Amino acid sequence: MIKIKNLKKSFGPKKITNGLDLVVPTHDLMAVIGRSGEGKSVLLKQIIGLIKPDSGQIFLDEQDTTKLNSKELEDIYKECGYVFQFAALLDSLTVFENIGVTLLENNVDPEEVKPLVIEKLRSVGLDEDTLDKYPSELSGGMKKRVGLARTLMLSPKILLYDEPTTGLDPITANIIHELIKKTHTKSSATSLVVSHDVEIFKFATSVSMLYEGKIAYTGPAKTIWECDNPYVYQFIRGLEDGPIKTK
Amino acid sequence: MVLNVIDLIGRTSIKAFNGIGNIGLFFYDSIVTLFTTKPKIKKIIYQMSFIGVGSTGVIVLIGVTVGAVLAVQSYTGLHRFSAERFIGPIIFISMAREFGPILAAIMVTGRAGSAMTAEIGTMRITEQIDALQTLCINVKQYLIVPRIIATTLILPFLSLFCSLCGVLAGYFMSVHVLGINAELYMESIRENVLLSDITNGLIKALFFGLLLSLITTYKGFITTGGARGVGIATTQGVVYANVTIFVADYILTSLMF
Repeated sequence: MIKIKNLKKSFGPKKITNGLDLVVPTHDLMAVIGRSGEGKSVLLKQIIGLIKPDSGQIFLDEQDTTKLNSKELEDIYKECGYVFQFAALLDSLTVFENIGVTLLENNVDPEEVKPLVIEKLRSVGLDEDTLDKYPSELSGGMKKRVGLARTLMLSPKILLYDEPTTGLDPITANIIHELIKKTHTKSSATSLVVSHDVEIFKFATSVSMLYEGKIAYTGPAKTIWECDNPYVYQFIRGLEDGPIKTK
Repeated sequence: MVLNVIDLIGRTSIKAFNGIGNIGLFFYDSIVTLFTTKPKIKKIIYQMSFIGVGSTGVIVLIGVTVGAVLAVQSYTGLHRFSAERFIGPIIFISMAREFGPILAAIMVTGRAGSAMTAEIGTMRITEQIDALQTLCINVKQYLIVPRIIATTLILPFLSLFCSLCGVLAGYFMSVHVLGINAELYMESIRENVLLSDITNGLIKALFFGLLLSLITTYKGFITTGGARGVGIATTQGVVYANVTIFVADYILTSLMF
């Protein structure tokens, strides 16, 4: 379970998260929606400890990560996977080295790592031909899949996705959404997907909306189009008029 | 007006001390990582090859040029006092004590130091460093320590090589162009040069390597702001490293000679 209490973070005078409270139940697949620049990625980075919040608490399975030092955070990283917006593949390494990087850096024999990498690669719909390719030789969709495969290597209990479909065409975006759903069903990991793509509602179990540094709404994804919350109503329909300031 | 000046001084001082504090912590973390984790031998060898082998050409060129210039300049001065036979030791001591270490350090900063800042900076802005962290990889052990070890170890060799090129070029100019007796040239070196002239130069090179790698990797590590940020970090890394090398040169020279 992910539990966030009164989280605050500012960059200079700009308040990014402003007393945010959120609970993601165990095994849930929650989508966090919100406008660009609303602080969705910053929220994810605070959850995993890449950005220190100014105040507040973040509990990952009862452990407050805001109190941990960098050494203790390493244990959190073993339990918690992060899929980056632009995949963040190491551009000097091949796909094989990228996916197996944690094991290879811990001196595990590459011959032992290879079958594990192939298994993860297949689970994201890619074949062995891509193993020796460099990130620069992959399409945007393939990079995201490799990024997901790399995260899955550690079998995380919690999965955080940062805008997984940004910059992808609708067909590839749908494939990535299907993949997120499939991964969630298979691993039962508590998953949080940050997105502004309304198609995510088809795959998520619940939805939270971020507005002005706080959660403006949380509810089931199935009924989101019937939701009468004015923020959600305006956002998912892309309306100019409503409580969300557009200027 | 006065308050504005005080405000400016205050802000600048805080920024400067903050920077010094951060680089101090970065250095401390890197040293702790160096002694508490297993070194990545393959990465160190790769970096030594990149820095060492890659810089050899430019080191030869600079060493030869400076050695030849030293020969001509020394001859011009010493000829007035009929002391041309001291050209050999002057070139040798100048190269070993001063020009070898400092020229090698400046060349490595420009060539490899800038590459280190740009590479690490690009990794920072494209979230590759964040990715390493979330994949349970010790970022300092993976990225920083191999570069610091490689630069610190390779710079004394490059310094020695630069000095050797300078001395050989000086010999060639003195004997074959300026007409100084070869026997006299060599004998004068044997009589006047001490082993400490060489070892102290190597110690300086060791410190220069440590400082330049620390500064350039640090600037890369804290890069922000996209492609422009990488450009600014790279420029700052090279400038700060070169200035630090000159200041350290003065301090080390005062302490050792």
